[in-house]
Amino acid sequence: MLDGKLKQALAMVQKPGRYTGGEPGSVYKEKEQVDLRFAFCFPDTYEVGMSFLGEKILYELINAHPNWWMERAFMSWLDMKEQMETLGIPLYTLESKDPLTQFDIVGFTLQYEMSFTNILAMLDLAGIPFYAKDRGEEWPLIIAGGPCVCNGEPVAPFFDVMQLGEGEDQLQSICAQVEQAKKEGISKEELLLRLVKIPGVYIPAFYDVEYQEDGRIQTIRPNRPGVPAVVTKAILKDMNAYKPPVNFVVPLIGAIHDRAQVEVLRGCVRGCRFCQAGFIYRPMRQRDAEGLDRAARDLCANTGYEEVSLTSLSTSDHSQLEELLDRMNTWVEKEHVNIALPSLRVDNFSESLIEKTTRVRKSGLTFAPEAGTQRLRDVINKNVTWEEIERTCTIAFKAGYTSVKLYFMMGLPTETLEDIEGIADTAHKIVDLFYQVKDKPKGKGSVQVTISCACFVPKPHTPFQFCPQDTKEMLEEKQAHLRAAVRSRKVKVNCHFSDISFLEAVVAKGDRRLAPVLVEAYRNGCYFDGWDECFHYDTWLEAFKKWGIDPAFYAYRTIGLEEITPWSHMDYGVTHDFLVREYQKALEGKTTRPCNKACSGCGANQLLGGPCFEYHQDLVH
Amino acid sequence: MNTIRIWFTKEGDASYISLLDLQRAMARCLKRSGLPVWYTQGFNPHIYMTFTSPLSLGQESLVESVDVKTEEEAPDFEEWKNRLNPVMPGGIRVTRVAPVVHKGEEVAFARYSVWTDQPGGREAAQAYNQADSLPVEKKTKRAVKTVDLKEILPHVQLETEGEKYSFQMLLPAGKELNTNPALVLESWEQAYGFPARNWNILRTGLYTRTMEEFS
Ligand code: SF4
Repeated sequence: MLDGKLKQALAMVQKPGRYTGGEPGSVYKEKEQVDLRFAFCFPDTYEVGMSFLGEKILYELINAHPNWWMERAFMSWLDMKEQMETLGIPLYTLESKDPLTQFDIVGFTLQYEMSFTNILAMLDLAGIPFYAKDRGEEWPLIIAGGPCVCNGEPVAPFFDVMQLGEGEDQLQSICAQVEQAKKEGISKEELLLRLVKIPGVYIPAFYDVEYQEDGRIQTIRPNRPGVPAVVTKAILKDMNAYKPPVNFVVPLIGAIHDRAQVEVLRGCVRGCRFCQAGFIYRPMRQRDAEGLDRAARDLCANTGYEEVSLTSLSTSDHSQLEELLDRMNTWVEKEHVNIALPSLRVDNFSESLIEKTTRVRKSGLTFAPEAGTQRLRDVINKNVTWEEIERTCTIAFKAGYTSVKLYFMMGLPTETLEDIEGIADTAHKIVDLFYQVKDKPKGKGSVQVTISCACFVPKPHTPFQFCPQDTKEMLEEKQAHLRAAVRSRKVKVNCHFSDISFLEAVVAKGDRRLAPVLVEAYRNGCYFDGWDECFHYDTWLEAFKKWGIDPAFYAYRTIGLEEITPWSHMDYGVTHDFLVREYQKALEGKTTRPCNKACSGCGANQLLGGPCFEYHQDLVH
Repeated sequence: MNTIRIWFTKEGDASYISLLDLQRAMARCLKRSGLPVWYTQGFNPHIYMTFTSPLSLGQESLVESVDVKTEEEAPDFEEWKNRLNPVMPGGIRVTRVAPVVHKGEEVAFARYSVWTDQPGGREAAQAYNQADSLPVEKKTKRAVKTVDLKEILPHVQLETEGEKYSFQMLLPAGKELNTNPALVLESWEQAYGFPARNWNILRTGLYTRTMEEFS
């Protein structure tokens, strides 16, 4: 219920509906009657967090246990944070409105590095000490999952437990152990020793990290018996054994992605060398068309959503995509539902696919060639050729598309100014192509090509983890060069570089010595760092200085191939040898084939205990 | 084609749903209910809905309504209500589904119940009732003009229950003359120094020009 103080705060803030709960699909239980209470914390705004599929998966799974209750908490926006601090309202969950301190488990999801200070802000608002070592038996178990756990070392000292890999089974095992521990009344240490046996569970306090004089890591060693030297991620071997969630909490005030989402496959076969998700979610596993169709239909019926998106890292790689669309097309129109395909790829975008998604608004087409020349695309293993872009654009222009958005990265390994010119050339060629295509629908006379450039951030567990990031000066020069190379008024350039990319690189490859820097930065007003208006670069630099840490050491240094990295003890199935091999192939400009065409032996098949693909004809496009 | 009026409450958490958000949420709830509501025709069909006399954010109500259309010849209103209630957000409860009697434009007055647990509110109300006039600035679509609140609301009716007290206010409603109860409380803050915050505002009735209950 809303008490007086909360009402007072809500009267003073923008979008009070972010802080109230009660949405259709939210789960309410009698707190006296549950054995385990879990607060799922998303360290960003409500609208961002409510777009996130992972939370919906776990919310349904955990709440399916009658005696466990998972609730949600999000980071309060600046105005609400101020009200809560002034009025003394501790951070609470939307369902019961109970403070986080009343929960057995407080779990955070680590989706991107720039949300790390928001974790501190949320703990602070809840009155929970930051460091695991400062929390005795009376505090909730503070845990973390999500992709950034793959190098969560900068935040590792804050967590009791971190989860590598996929949470479906793992989190249920953790909850079961915590419930049992409560019944038995065992100590936290004893509980952690039990949890460490669950696949993918990483207890940061059970490892000691030693450093060399030059700042590199000397050793990472477990400090308890029975604790593995290397933690291997948890994985679902068979995606069909886990139905996608068919109930979502439907936000009342909207969300960034406010639609039904069905996860058609997990992982990616492509092996783009810059893409962390492409490596940490290996191997690719897909769900059958029949089950997906049923789940999509149930989800739409249960939520009332008017749009369903078939989500994954690369939806068009689903081997039964056309079958799935055929099945869905038998009911979507009658049920007033649109289908969205968010990650269409250039190379298997076909006319029939366009037809099958006629209920998708036809205006913008997005491609991510990522690099401007074939040479550089080979380096990053983005297997997209100009011929494919040309073919797809031709189909799309004929179908009535009039705007193309192209995503590129700047600062890729081996990149030269010639590659930058290639970005402008690609856009120019698309403009020319538009005017060459003859049978366009009437009234579609003009085209708009937008170039969107992000700054490359080398990420752990990728073949480019060894690479330094381009310095600010280098990036600025490249950006100026690109702007000078664009000659057409039909081409727009959006470059957003900022110091944020540098900080992202530092934190992504950082180690435990960054934890006090994060605390310092937060204490001095840094949170919501991912939001331009909240990013205070100078405050960050001061925080590094105060702790005697040179951020350039993390972002601008080439990592030796045999060096121990902060994430060396985390195993995502892909071997170190494979990453080195891919890195060397990259430097030679050699590509690697996608997993569904040929296995290149990354090692991730070990997680399944058998080959990832049966190389039948129907899996090969 | 039948037009029918769905009556609902908007309380607690739900009082923070804006009209725009409520429109989208209501459409999804109607969709979830599976009831045969009518969709507009055309390229982008959507559920036909008209809301009556929207509320300000943070205020509660027992008498909100939305009109929808259906091709059902004789809709079973009880059935509609029973199917809608389980799919509504927390704080929204469907109280009645009924044929439309008055047009939406016919709303002319709204009754509010207003209460607080802060001390001093009673004195402010008494001062207001005794005052001859209380000029306030009222924003209309075009300009800000000064009006005498006492002409709009001659007095508020005090109800006490032990330590607790509340006021009943009958204010003009509808497109042209709508007066927000928050405006009254803000004027009390200016005139009598009683803080306008922390009030609970609950709309309890809607009436036509002849003080007939709007239905
Ligand atoms: S083992 Fe082979 S097929 Fe499986 S993910 Fe690795 S490279 Fe791809």
